[in-house]
Amino acid sequence: MATPIIETKDLRMAFGDNEVLKGISMQVMPSQCVVVIGPSGSGKSTLLRCMNHLNEPTGGTILFEGHDIAAEDIDINLIRAQMIMVFQSFNLFMHLTAKKNISLALMKVKGVEQAEAEDMALKMLAKVGLSDKADAYPGQLSGGQQQRVAIARAMAMQPKALLFDEPTSALDPELIGEVLDVMKRLALEGMTMVVVTHEMGFAREMADHVIFMDQGVICEQGPPEEIFVNPKNERTKVFLKRILCQVDAMDPLKPNYEDTSLENGNGTCETAPVAEQSAKEVVKNDARTGLKRWFGLR
Amino acid sequence: MNLDWSVIPENFWFLMDGAKLTLIIAIIAILFGFAGGILLGMARISKNRAVYGISTGYIEAFRGTPLLVQIFLIYFGLPSLGLQFTPLMAGILALSLNSAAYQAEIFRAGVQSIPKGQMEASRSMGMTYNQSMFHVIIPQALRNSMPTYTNEFITLIKDSSLVMAIGVLELTYSAKDVIADTFQPFVLYIFIAVVYFVMTFSTSRIMRFVERKFAIPGTMGGE
Ligand SMILES: Nc1ncnc2c1ncn2[C@@H]1O[C@H](COP(=O)(O)OP(=O)(O)OP(=O)(O)O)[C@@H](O)[C@H]1O
Ligand SMILES: [Mg+2]
Repeated sequence: MATPIIETKDLRMAFGDNEVLKGISMQVMPSQCVVVIGPSGSGKSTLLRCMNHLNEPTGGTILFEGHDIAAEDIDINLIRAQMIMVFQSFNLFMHLTAKKNISLALMKVKGVEQAEAEDMALKMLAKVGLSDKADAYPGQLSGGQQQRVAIARAMAMQPKALLFDEPTSALDPELIGEVLDVMKRLALEGMTMVVVTHEMGFAREMADHVIFMDQGVICEQGPPEEIFVNPKNERTKVFLKRILCQVDAMDPLKPNYEDTSLENGNGTCETAPVAEQSAKEVVKNDARTGLKRWFGLR
Repeated sequence: MNLDWSVIPENFWFLMDGAKLTLIIAIIAILFGFAGGILLGMARISKNRAVYGISTGYIEAFRGTPLLVQIFLIYFGLPSLGLQFTPLMAGILALSLNSAAYQAEIFRAGVQSIPKGQMEASRSMGMTYNQSMFHVIIPQALRNSMPTYTNEFITLIKDSSLVMAIGVLELTYSAKDVIADTFQPFVLYIFIAVVYFVMTFSTSRIMRFVERKFAIPGTMGGE
């Protein structure tokens, strides 16, 4: 069997006392599109950030093509350049044009000459349908266009995997499609991707493997047909119901009277108790560190 | 009251020599303070406890004591440790060290005003911390901090008059010299006040120009 591009083994992550990942073991095979779903606060972003080593896990291992990315003799920058993250908030470099956004890392990380890097940038912009925006600054682009530039920026590095953290969550509904289209094209081209998303349509259509996470553990995983059509785990069922209920509620064409009947349905639309609890946690931490902070200590 | 404005043309070039020295002191101190401020500011956001501690101590010390005392300490105090400076050098040194402390905080605030996603995106593509700082964070931080830097530069031009206390013949000291000969304090202090104002006002205009030139299109301030 081929080595997985990314593999996590009993991955654990805690912020102080707050254990956010409680032993995540998963695999991403070459050319696979793995979609991670789950309620807010379940640790999806943290999982991706650990893979990219933006957060340092407190336990377990992450293997990239079989190599432990936390090993002493591994240059994390070389790993990151092959496993690039696309963020919910795009994070384009605001002071650089679309073209320069793409060429910067090519030049600095891969040592590509400027002319060549800019050629590559134009090629990638063409791929996401933004050839005419090469000289535009992020502030002059719509959210959807910014996210497409961000994807082009990641692709230009020719990574072995892409990590998407809710790439469409910050977008107006009418802009989501253009970004999903680009992602679909990438998936079809055989790009290895891990996608955290609430876009169930995308998950159903493109995922090779779906992982449902809740409260820091993987509750259920499998092929999309199984998860979406026939979920076994109780929490998965509740989550999917709630998501579908939200989608319905957002549909402007849906007649109003149906609203009430759905809300009254069993177990739909309730909110997770987790969020409230973690908010209290944060306040407590603040008070404790407050005094030290006051004296300029860390 | 007899105001004799003719003392100005009579001593014009002497006063202008003083103004020139003021400008030289201010510009050198601004530049050293800027460079020092960036180094100190980087140290101040460092995760290394020693580096952080030393820079914080430095900044608190220089912000928390009078500039005049710092000037005296460097000019009169350091010789007892075997370090002897000319008045001009001591003055420039004191102003630079002092301004570096303030500029470090300006720089730090500028860096911390940049959303952390910028650093994360840059690191996520494999750029090192220093590369990300240099190519992504600092260019944006400096732009955001421009108005605060302008304030500091203007303050420094005005505070440079303090070095007269160790005998540097800059603008204020020159005026005092002329007053000793002519007994026209009002005329001379009004005159140098105008000269200082011309310097500070030009500084703010120049900085405004630079700010506009480097404004990022598509953001507030850029068109
Ligand atoms: N830097 C941090 N410091 C402390 N706690 C954090 C930090 N980042 C995340 N957390 C906590 O970790 C938990 C999981 O966060 P995470 O962002 O991974 O959730 P998520 O599944 O991505 O949620 P969402 O769908 O809302 O993006 C939350 O309870 C959050 O409060
Ligand atoms: Mg998230």
